[in-house]
Amino acid sequence: MIDFFPPGGQGPEAGDQSPLMASPYWNPKNETLARAELRALQLAKLRRLTSWAYARSPFHRRRFDAAGFHPDKLRSFDDLARIPFMTREDWMASQDRQPPFGDLPIAGPEAAIRYHYTSGTSGRTPIRALDGAKDWEWIAEMWAYGFWAFGVRSSDIVLFAFSYGTFIGFWGAHYCCEKIGALVLPTGNFTTEMRARTILDMGVTTVCSTPTYALRLWQAAEELGIDLAASRVDKLIVSGEPAGSIPAVKRQLEQAWGAKVGDTAGMTEIGSIFTFECSHQPGGTHIIEDNFIEETMTPGGEAPVPYGEKAERVVTSFGRGFMPLIRYRTQDMVVKVPHSTCGCGRTGDIYEGGIQGRWDDMKLIRGTNVYPRAVEAIVREYDAVDEFQILITRDGLQDEISVCCELKSDRAGEWVALQKKLERDLSDAHEGLRFNVTLAEAGSLPRFELKAKRLVDKR
Amino acid sequence: METDLLGHPLTDLERELMRVYESLKKLAAAPDAPPCVQQNVRKALACVWQATHDLDLQFEQLYDYGV
Repeated sequence: MIDFFPPGGQGPEAGDQSPLMASPYWNPKNETLARAELRALQLAKLRRLTSWAYARSPFHRRRFDAAGFHPDKLRSFDDLARIPFMTREDWMASQDRQPPFGDLPIAGPEAAIRYHYTSGTSGRTPIRALDGAKDWEWIAEMWAYGFWAFGVRSSDIVLFAFSYGTFIGFWGAHYCCEKIGALVLPTGNFTTEMRARTILDMGVTTVCSTPTYALRLWQAAEELGIDLAASRVDKLIVSGEPAGSIPAVKRQLEQAWGAKVGDTAGMTEIGSIFTFECSHQPGGTHIIEDNFIEETMTPGGEAPVPYGEKAERVVTSFGRGFMPLIRYRTQDMVVKVPHSTCGCGRTGDIYEGGIQGRWDDMKLIRGTNVYPRAVEAIVREYDAVDEFQILITRDGLQDEISVCCELKSDRAGEWVALQKKLERDLSDAHEGLRFNVTLAEAGSLPRFELKAKRLVDKR
Repeated sequence: METDLLGHPLTDLERELMRVYESLKKLAAAPDAPPCVQQNVRKALACVWQATHDLDLQFEQLYDYGV
């Protein structure tokens, strides 16, 4: 019999001990690339991607021709501006004309290995996504950049509080953990109680969920007498909502769980994440710039927005060649700051505060702009609030905005003082706009496992 | 191929990775491979595509190889 693992370090553990396995970077070559080289790499990939899209995607060929753009015109990085923007509306119109997938994909479903769809944050026509085998390697790889940066290693035991359905969500993160060599616990069919008990029973070190559900899981465990702060969990990796980078939410989660919270952000259109928080927790998330070009533009406009100012992100993805995404207008609200804001050594720039919401989430109430994330950031400063909902109604000709709050069972006595102070804080942050803060019965507001929908507009 | 996408000379590791990658592409296109070989080679090719892509050794699509 052949001894595959003779004494002397020839087994798999020997590989794990190589110096680079101790690297804080999943991809040391590219994560620390000088900015000029990063730009050169993006241009090299952009030339190939646009040539591929022009040759194989009727959707892109049509758009490029209509805009008078040809991939041969990409001589410098500045020529990126010659490429027409792509919008969700263009894509969905293509799906409507040629159901079910439109003419964006470079091949039919026979060439794909997976299909996912989602209605997305803003509802409307579902995005239907096809991917090939190498696309799934890449989807997992983007998560691996983020999970490695936040300290996930082969010794970790990772629980996914995720439904494993048609929404692409954490699917890629699951495969990323297998790639890293961690032990993965998929709990799609578990109740919240089963998850809480499994975290203790299995010695889970890392929990992945939406920020809302991480809070809910901790609260439910507490009601069951399970102390998750006493568990081995030292990392919560969250995604799917802007709340992961809201300081008050992060603080609540870190205190409750006794663990560090790392934010990530992705989108169904990409299939994976494009930005992640490293273990230095710089107050934002690094952009994976060797795999994405992330432009910051005026919302709906064409003017580039400099560092430090609110902008709409426009993404070009170098993954998922099945459905090339080139200069896609996301409507995500971001503030980009230089990579040097963080001391981790990565050269990928940072989205300060992660994804700060969506430009199309804005509600106009009596002439004042209201963003749900901004309201949440204020409400979450009150740790007596268990759950909340923003309700917008119309009374005659006048719009009204209310924030209905459920309090934690042992904090009901704080209501009167909390109501007055919260109304004042919300009003001060919104040009004096009057908010009605009301008390909801315990357990009456909806709870969420995936993306929370806390705004109800009844106008 | 002697350089990566940025024009840097390949290291020994990178050269070996590209040799494996090109071999897998040939195997994935082999007409006489049984299903057990063809499909497992495609899985391996997807993984090595990712490693070579990470190191900027290539940027190409493999759908014509079933990957």
